Amino acid sequence: MVAAPVLVGMTEIRITTGAGELTCLGLGSCIALCGYDSTAKVGGMVHIVLPHTLPEKEAKLGRFADTAVPELLHQLEKAGADRKMLRFAMVGGAKVINFGDGNAMGLDIGTRNVNAVKHQIQNQELDLVGIDVGGSLARTILMNTETGDVTVRTVTRGEKPLCSLRGNP
Amino acid sequence: MNSEMLTIEDILSKTTDLPSLPAATLAVMRETDSPNATAQSVAKHLALDAGLAVRVLRLANSAYYGLPRQVKDVPEAVVVLGMRSVRNLALVASTFPWMNRPYSGYGLGPTEMWRHSFGVAVATELIAIRTNVASSEHAFTCGLLHNLGKTALSVWLENKIEALVGFAQEHHLPFDALERRVLGFDHCDVGAHLGEQWNLPKSIVDVMQFHHRPDDCREPIPLVDCVHLADYVTASLGIGLGGDGLCYEFSRHTLERLRLAPVDIDKLASDFLDVHEKYQALFEGVAA
Repeated sequence: MVAAPVLVGMTEIRITTGAGELTCLGLGSCIALCGYDSTAKVGGMVHIVLPHTLPEKEAKLGRFADTAVPELLHQLEKAGADRKMLRFAMVGGAKVINFGDGNAMGLDIGTRNVNAVKHQIQNQELDLVGIDVGGSLARTILMNTETGDVTVRTVTRGEKPLCSLRGNP
Repeated sequence: MNSEMLTIEDILSKTTDLPSLPAATLAVMRETDSPNATAQSVAKHLALDAGLAVRVLRLANSAYYGLPRQVKDVPEAVVVLGMRSVRNLALVASTFPWMNRPYSGYGLGPTEMWRHSFGVAVATELIAIRTNVASSEHAFTCGLLHNLGKTALSVWLENKIEALVGFAQEHHLPFDALERRVLGFDHCDVGAHLGEQWNLPKSIVDVMQFHHRPDDCREPIPLVDCVHLADYVTASLGIGLGGDGLCYEFSRHTLERLRLAPVDIDKLASDFLDVHEKYQALFEGVAA
């Protein structure tokens, strides 16, 4: 029997070292960032909610992009992943509400999340091989930790492959 | 049936399996609103529904309240929980069975309507308390019931969601505007009609009617603004989003009326997650 995918809830970071699947359901403005080392067969996913750490929220590492990305990397390496072998994909950051001229006021959490995660990926010099962000659709991401395949499902587009995190053969 | 011919009255009279609130819950809502309510008078109404009374006792005895002794009778449980929690619990217990179903006309899978409504209820109460512009007394109720109209309209939109979302995106229409274009009315109109049929207080019916268009209120209604913002926060976080939680319009005037700045939103969203976690833990065992 195939095990159900492991749900990565808001703010959570999940690491897996065997065959299985990780998923974030119905991402709106949130971002799912997943990483995979195909040699060590170590994969992980974080469900990021907001771009920047708030003063009193230091403990919620997975909640904010500026702490979630380094923490995901740290936990992947701790589980045996080799940083040089890791490939990443990011999904989400939609604008599910229209703001009119409110966009300029920074109400668009999705866009701010995308920028903050990209900034961290650049800082950490991570290998981002798959990206599906922005727009106005809610997305569900699924990563297979046996194959490194990442798929994205939306209401109108159905389920589509995004990328493979296996890296070059 | 040709949907163009439908009226709201048709929808409400021809939809089988329309949701309802048990008489005991409506009585508890009315009684807890009364300035003369006592623990005894509220308990009397709770006793009309044995299942509800048991849930109230279970909640009062839950680890959350951490009482050193067991609460054995309903009036005492009402004292422990307080009127507001009893009313919220009665609503949660009464709405969970039908909100937890799939509403495929809106692309909402099982649990999604419930998760979104419960999330908006928690967020509305938080916003009302935080901003202090509206009484927080009915905030939870307003949030929980804001999408009541969708439970009646969903069946009429079944098998159309993909086409409707596609059309809405192509024409940059919020989904409620699309409903009005297709049906001549939207889920807000249907919810307000249903709320009136249930004899709900006007403040709650107003929220159902205006939660997507708070600027259309003749005079600003603070609870409408609280729900409008709560809906935005909850939808943005993807809670029970389904297929249609897309492209609704957010009025920035709501922020002005609530005396909030955009910069406050991240903190609000983060605090909401913490409060939501606590509420979920509190009601999880007693909802089903």
